[in-house]
Amino acid sequence: MFQALRSRWRRWVNLRIPRADKQVLSQRNIFILPTGAGVVFGILLLVMLITGINYQNSLIYLLTFLLGAILVAAMHQTHRNLAGLELTLVQAGEGFAGDRIPFRFRAVSGKHDAVAISLSCDDCTLSQQHVPAGQTGDLVLSVASVERGYFRPDRVRVETRFPFGLLKAWSWVRPVSFGIAYPRPVAAPDATSTVSDGEDQETSRSVEGNDHADMRPWREGDLAQRVLWKRYARTGQMVIADWEGEQGSPHWIDYQAFPGVDQELRISYLTALVLDRSRSGTPFGLNLPGQVIDPDAGPAHVSRCLKSLAVFGLEKPRDDSQSAFGTRSRATGSTVVGEGVRW
Amino acid sequence: MVTLSSRNHVTGSPAAETPVLPTRALVWVIASFALLLVPQWDRLPVWLIASCVALAGWRWLAQSGRVRLPGKWLRSAIMLGVIAVYVATVRGRFTVDTAASFFVLAVGLKWLETRSTRDFYVLFFILVYLATVNFLFHQEIYWTVLNLLAVGSLLVGLQVLNAPDLPESMRSGWSRLGMMLLKTLPIVALLFVFFPRVAPLWSVPLVSGEARSGISDTMRPGDISSLAQSSERAFRATFGGELPAYRDRYWRGLILDYLDGETWRQGQGEPFRRPGRVSVDGGVGDLTSGQYDVLMEPTDKRWAFVLEDSVAVSNNVVPTDEGLFRFRRPADTTVRYRMELKGGGQGNAVGEDPRVLRRYLQLPRSGNPRAQALAEDLRTNNPDPGAMIEALMSRFRQQGYYYTLRPPAMPEDGIDALLFDEKRGFCAHYAGATTFLLRAAGIPARVVVGYQGGDPGAGDQYLVVRQYDAHAWVEAWLDGEGWVRVDPTAAIAPDRIESGLRDAVAEEGSFLENDWASPQRYGNMAVLQWASLQLDRINYQWQRWVVGYQGQSQMDLMSRLPGGLGLKELGYATAGIVGFALLVAGGFSTWQMRRSTRRDPVARLIGRWHRLCERAGVPVRYGETPTQLADRVGSARPGAAGTARAFARMVNKHYYDSEPEEDQRQSREKMRRLLITMRKQMSRDTTPSRETATRRVTG
Repeated sequence: MFQALRSRWRRWVNLRIPRADKQVLSQRNIFILPTGAGVVFGILLLVMLITGINYQNSLIYLLTFLLGAILVAAMHQTHRNLAGLELTLVQAGEGFAGDRIPFRFRAVSGKHDAVAISLSCDDCTLSQQHVPAGQTGDLVLSVASVERGYFRPDRVRVETRFPFGLLKAWSWVRPVSFGIAYPRPVAAPDATSTVSDGEDQETSRSVEGNDHADMRPWREGDLAQRVLWKRYARTGQMVIADWEGEQGSPHWIDYQAFPGVDQELRISYLTALVLDRSRSGTPFGLNLPGQVIDPDAGPAHVSRCLKSLAVFGLEKPRDDSQSAFGTRSRATGSTVVGEGVRW
Repeated sequence: MVTLSSRNHVTGSPAAETPVLPTRALVWVIASFALLLVPQWDRLPVWLIASCVALAGWRWLAQSGRVRLPGKWLRSAIMLGVIAVYVATVRGRFTVDTAASFFVLAVGLKWLETRSTRDFYVLFFILVYLATVNFLFHQEIYWTVLNLLAVGSLLVGLQVLNAPDLPESMRSGWSRLGMMLLKTLPIVALLFVFFPRVAPLWSVPLVSGEARSGISDTMRPGDISSLAQSSERAFRATFGGELPAYRDRYWRGLILDYLDGETWRQGQGEPFRRPGRVSVDGGVGDLTSGQYDVLMEPTDKRWAFVLEDSVAVSNNVVPTDEGLFRFRRPADTTVRYRMELKGGGQGNAVGEDPRVLRRYLQLPRSGNPRAQALAEDLRTNNPDPGAMIEALMSRFRQQGYYYTLRPPAMPEDGIDALLFDEKRGFCAHYAGATTFLLRAAGIPARVVVGYQGGDPGAGDQYLVVRQYDAHAWVEAWLDGEGWVRVDPTAAIAPDRIESGLRDAVAEEGSFLENDWASPQRYGNMAVLQWASLQLDRINYQWQRWVVGYQGQSQMDLMSRLPGGLGLKELGYATAGIVGFALLVAGGFSTWQMRRSTRRDPVARLIGRWHRLCERAGVPVRYGETPTQLADRVGSARPGAAGTARAFARMVNKHYYDSEPEEDQRQSREKMRRLLITMRKQMSRDTTPSRETATRRVTG
């Protein structure tokens, strides 16, 4: 019963607040209710009124009316803190699963000061900030992620309790954009790493590789580096050498290098490897089923690889889907995250 | 996560926690507490004030990190200790006074526990109610202002609490509060006038059980002279007709008919009656000739002070057998009542029961032999009671008796000492002695205590009667005439009766000699007198029209308005006012909101640019940045490319750079000029653009 009401309410709210990275707060989407203290204050006003009646004291009436009117004025003020505020998700963050991932919102206040604005989602809060009238401010909300993949808070609550904390006005922003939670790195086991690590194995690689070379014609999607250009010069045919040993290439980080290992763990191994390479600054390529990233170096490349790993095997969720992705609310019960290597 | 936080909770000892409340918020609450204590200072016991100051100081030092807040055990010990002292001093009396002390105590103890926002709100609620209770004790305009200031500081404190890092929190807090008050003032005023003043729902405890300064129900010879040193106001009276002459301003309060050694008491204690509901309906409408209104300061007693030969008009006073008047509920707050002078015939001349009269002949078995002898002597020389009283008065007049505020101590056989040795005394001495003599001579007599006199307030609109006007005189029973007033003071010091205490003791210089702060003391300083009277007038009007606006006075006002509103209609009116106010507020904020979205000048300029682009065949796409749009304009209309890019740059600069207000205005002007140029440029190369447009459509 309660659950049904809750989901009904949620559906209704979602109707009023469409998914968008930009949200202008107005009467349409601002909600206002008394806080706990506000309810107590209401009761106090009632007690004061009764005191005034029983002692026939005009000044107590006066004080009661004054405070009651101020409560209404505060309602107006609290509403005004949010009204006209424009919140835009300008940067959906990236980070490792299990870490807090920053989402940067830009707040542009309307005609009035937006005082003591705080953002929060299911398990994240950003303490209050002020955006004076007509100015902009950046609010960075750090959202806890749980698993790799597309990641966004389902809805971010914008709240203010200013001036007296007796009333709270709030609204939600339901961002469209996704952040990316990289897989948690897990150090790859030694057995495979002997094959794939170290510049000094250059020679052994070529020897081994040549042993198991498997020639095949060029197909679309093959990398230029793998074409046997010498042979092309001779014969005019583009032939690809598919070395089995290529999986162990120091230049390549390969999904196939860990046969039999669980997919998620594999991804974590690969992530650790990517981070290793990025730390040492050596160029590397990433070979994932269905996606190959050419060897390269530099932060942009690393970020691209991490992103590919993050969303590997996942489909980008549809915009109108209602659940949060990768936030804690989705993970059921356990919040344990593998003991990963922090970089 | 869960385990972590709970572990934190267990290990973190509560005593070691540092207070997290913003200091400035705390300052305002402490300030408000101090303000709210001011109206209570004369009532609160010293130990309570001292411990409150100590506890608040402790909290303050803890805030600045110099000391730590007490741990659980010490806190409980302090709490128990203070509450034990409180219970011991209260001794089971339950009045608003003791409740208010308890609030003060609770706030004091709460200081040691104010760590979280929640505690802060608890303090806020207690203090607001303390302000409410303060209104029961004092209703003068300056106390009202003080109380409202205290509530204001609380609200400023709340603002600081809710936005601790807001710059200029004090100034903006007060101005925000002021704006709120200004906006809501009309509603508050309307509510105040129209909210139905219903009768009390149930009977409530008395405001105060403590004795106040003022007339008491026993009279020892020295009592009234100590009262004569106080210039506190006892009551104010407004007359429908002429003010009565000074010598006729005898305000009877109570009758003392039992002499117990040297002390006069009430022979029959006041019958116990439960305090009734509060009734402030002291009569409405204009005073007719002969009527008068009395606005009496709280005494916590049932006695009403009325002129001789009065009957009650308002029904909050009831007459007694002795021709006195009593309130239905002790006067624990300021109370107004209306009386009418009947004039002429004494109501009590009809004759008393001889058994009742015997009560007025009571005397102690022994003591004051010389006075006894004098009484017999007078009686034998004057068989007629009237003549005997006259002879006694002339004795007072002629034999060098003095009226003084500095009477000598007369410990044994005081009446003898007064009459034959010292011959110096105050009204209480002479009244007691006269009653003694009359009784000893067989004439029923009683001491009447009340006030005599009263000075006109500003504009001569009303009389102010002060504590130093307290007086004691005698009433004697004469067959056929009834009770007759006999005032020995009038014989000894006619000035006292004709123009007041100040003149009566002018020679002695003892008028208010211990009361340096009283403006009445400096009667010769005209400015001071004038200021004090004006202040009193303001307060009087405040008391009558604002404080006294209750029940009947509301109905009276409503009956003068067209429509003749009753309580029920007033209820509807109130609901209407509240609903209307909310509607207006909602409508206003919607309108303001609309206006503010329309008002952003740069957004308006961008709108104009967009329309320009659309007209030129470059439709604006959703989510496009100004630079992207400018690029597209540039490719569609090469002539306007530069202008469009410049405009886009200005837009970006406006929204993403912080520009000072001056520059913003200039750049808006520049953007406006760019738009004009752009329109010209676009219309100049109309033809190619149309081509592109068509090409795009077909392609």
